[in-house]
Amino acid sequence: MIASFFSTFSAGWFITNVMLIIGLWKIFKKCKKPGWWAFIPAFREYQLAKCANRENEGRMYLLIVALTYVLGFVTKIIGGMDTKFVDDHIFGMTLLLGVLMTIYIANLVYSIRIFSGVFLLFGVSKRWMWLVILLGSFFPSFLLGVKKKYQPLFIYIDPLDNEGAALSGLKAEAMESGLTVNIEERTAMDFFKKRYLLRDIHLNIEPGHMVLLLGGSGAGKTTFVNAVNGYEKAKAEIILNGSSIYDDYGKMKYKIGFVPQIDLMRGNDSVLRTLLDSAKLRLPADMHASQRRERAEEALKFFGLEPVKDRLCDKLSGGQRKRLSIAMEYIANPDLFILDEPDSGLDGVMARELMEGLRKIADRGKIVIVITHSPDRVIDLFDDVIVLAKDSKLTGRLTYFGPIDEAKKFFERDKMEKIVLRINREEEGGEGLADVFIEKYAEVCHG
Amino acid sequence: MADIEVKKRSERYRGRITQIPIYIGKCFRMFVYQSDWKVIPLASFIAMIVAVVVRKSFYVTMEGTTKGALALMSVALWNGFFNSIQVVCRERSIIKREHRSGMHISSYIFAHMVYQLFICVIQTVTTLLVFMYMDVKFPSDGVVSDYFLLDMFVTLLLVTYSADMLSLFLSSIVKSTTAAMTIMPLVLMVQLIFSGCMFSLPKGIKPLSNFMISNHATACICAEANYNSLPSSSGWNMLKKMSQRDDADPKIKSMVAEMELTGQDEIIKIETAKSNFDKDYESTYINVKYHWRFMFAMSFIFAGLSVVALEFIDKDKR
Repeated sequence: MIASFFSTFSAGWFITNVMLIIGLWKIFKKCKKPGWWAFIPAFREYQLAKCANRENEGRMYLLIVALTYVLGFVTKIIGGMDTKFVDDHIFGMTLLLGVLMTIYIANLVYSIRIFSGVFLLFGVSKRWMWLVILLGSFFPSFLLGVKKKYQPLFIYIDPLDNEGAALSGLKAEAMESGLTVNIEERTAMDFFKKRYLLRDIHLNIEPGHMVLLLGGSGAGKTTFVNAVNGYEKAKAEIILNGSSIYDDYGKMKYKIGFVPQIDLMRGNDSVLRTLLDSAKLRLPADMHASQRRERAEEALKFFGLEPVKDRLCDKLSGGQRKRLSIAMEYIANPDLFILDEPDSGLDGVMARELMEGLRKIADRGKIVIVITHSPDRVIDLFDDVIVLAKDSKLTGRLTYFGPIDEAKKFFERDKMEKIVLRINREEEGGEGLADVFIEKYAEVCHG
Repeated sequence: MADIEVKKRSERYRGRITQIPIYIGKCFRMFVYQSDWKVIPLASFIAMIVAVVVRKSFYVTMEGTTKGALALMSVALWNGFFNSIQVVCRERSIIKREHRSGMHISSYIFAHMVYQLFICVIQTVTTLLVFMYMDVKFPSDGVVSDYFLLDMFVTLLLVTYSADMLSLFLSSIVKSTTAAMTIMPLVLMVQLIFSGCMFSLPKGIKPLSNFMISNHATACICAEANYNSLPSSSGWNMLKKMSQRDDADPKIKSMVAEMELTGQDEIIKIETAKSNFDKDYESTYINVKYHWRFMFAMSFIFAGLSVVALEFIDKDKR
């Protein structure tokens, strides 16, 4: 058994591995990474994937390679056993074979994915892939590493290695009424590394304010909203009308209405039934049925859904569904309303109508936070804007919070959409000034 | 932080028990408006096809009973699987939203358990009525109760319901209806393979069949059919086939003819049956109850697992 195990280390194995190590060593040097990674199986493929900006594939490949080594070792041991053992454990053996086959196929697929990135990195033809498929990764790695004419077209730098914008050192003073947000950080573990999703966000929103939440894709708008409403807790203190959302989430969640982007409701329920069920779920248990019905009727009237109250949700138009989706939260009379792109899929007129409805809700003393990607057509309805941006470390940071007109002066732009372009990263078509404005905003706040 | 005393709210909202009626109502509206009612005629249609095939030999011989039990179990399993396989995954985003608004997953699943029980009862009654209408011969006495039909009703209900709960669980772990419909035939195939009456399973795999609904279902149906006391026709049929061949030995031909004349073929059938005796199919109160208990427990285990699986719904990506 031991002899069969060591037979793996044949001359061919030795030569291909030496070629692989030399090739990867040279590639890592070209990509300004430590060459010694080439000696560590599995991790070297991960580093190669990182060089090619294919980190996700690299992670998966690392796991697959690690599993391949473990299962390969197990198979070697089993291969040395007598056939009776295999017969007695036929089910386990079949299972092992199935897993091995899957792992080997996944290994090939992921190495193809990684090497497609590597070939882009070195600007060589995709036909090189045949070398990977037919010979394995050692040969193209050796060629790309050793030959001087193959140089990387770009050097990938992990954003997590950047410094990021400086912290503001601010803290929002809690108010008797209104929303106070003090998010120190919201982190997530990303392949054994701590990653900041949001950091250093401090602001106060007064009751009756309608606030626009602005930011490019991946700026952390949804993460911010989820942190504020307590759905995904951050290292933060969120106070709504004097009550801590995090400390008393079980009760406070009924004080927050969150309207998702997609209209999530059961198509086979009538409009009125949907609202009545929402009322049952969201209003206090001791509220009388007649009071609940009254609330439902009021919501129907407020959102102009009275004429269709007996219609099935499936039969509603896009605008009606959107209004019903908001009404489902409105019925609980929440103090804080958060809406994720309520105007998506609506034409300009309908979007305006909907936003005017939200303005009316704010005028009743509620806080309304709206995420929208077409803010300029309805900007006159908003009081304030929260601008979030990814800093150079890809952390969601507060770039600005305050009145709309002052935001335009702060960013020296007359449209909200242009503000987004100002802070978006260059590779996203923006000006890449997020860090500048994050620090400028902190300076303004410090006076 | 300013000197604001953080207030504690005192309102009470609907708890687990009081939320159940909301979702039961939703389920029944689904029955009426979302074509869920179609599972009833579908059940009777499948039962009709099976009854046509098995009615001549079901409860008459061991072989016919095994085949019939397999067919009946498949009907119940199929009904159960189809009832729930899409119910959770098709409204996963809605569940996520409602969970965020205070919905208890346990209330939601319990409501489905109640609703699915209603569906399963109707399907089981329909299946039995179709079998009776199609003139399938049933034994008169039951093993647990005095009535065979009552015992069979409980068995079929438990098979359908436990399969229903298994598919409810599958529907809770998959993220789309496409994934659910892909995984369902696979699970159904595993159930059929491990039912114990299609293939003789290798020693290493056989213990797995103890955890299969299908295995307990066929054992239960066979036990109620008094399987071990039925004649086995396989040996005699083989002998008869041999004698009917043109080139058959004349001695065999005359022996078979004589045995038929003197009624000795019945002895052969009974003796063959003795060698086919199966302990799992024993027609005893304890045996049937054991299988019932297993299926009952599995129903609750799968429902519990569905709750656990759905509690992680907040982790779903956007």
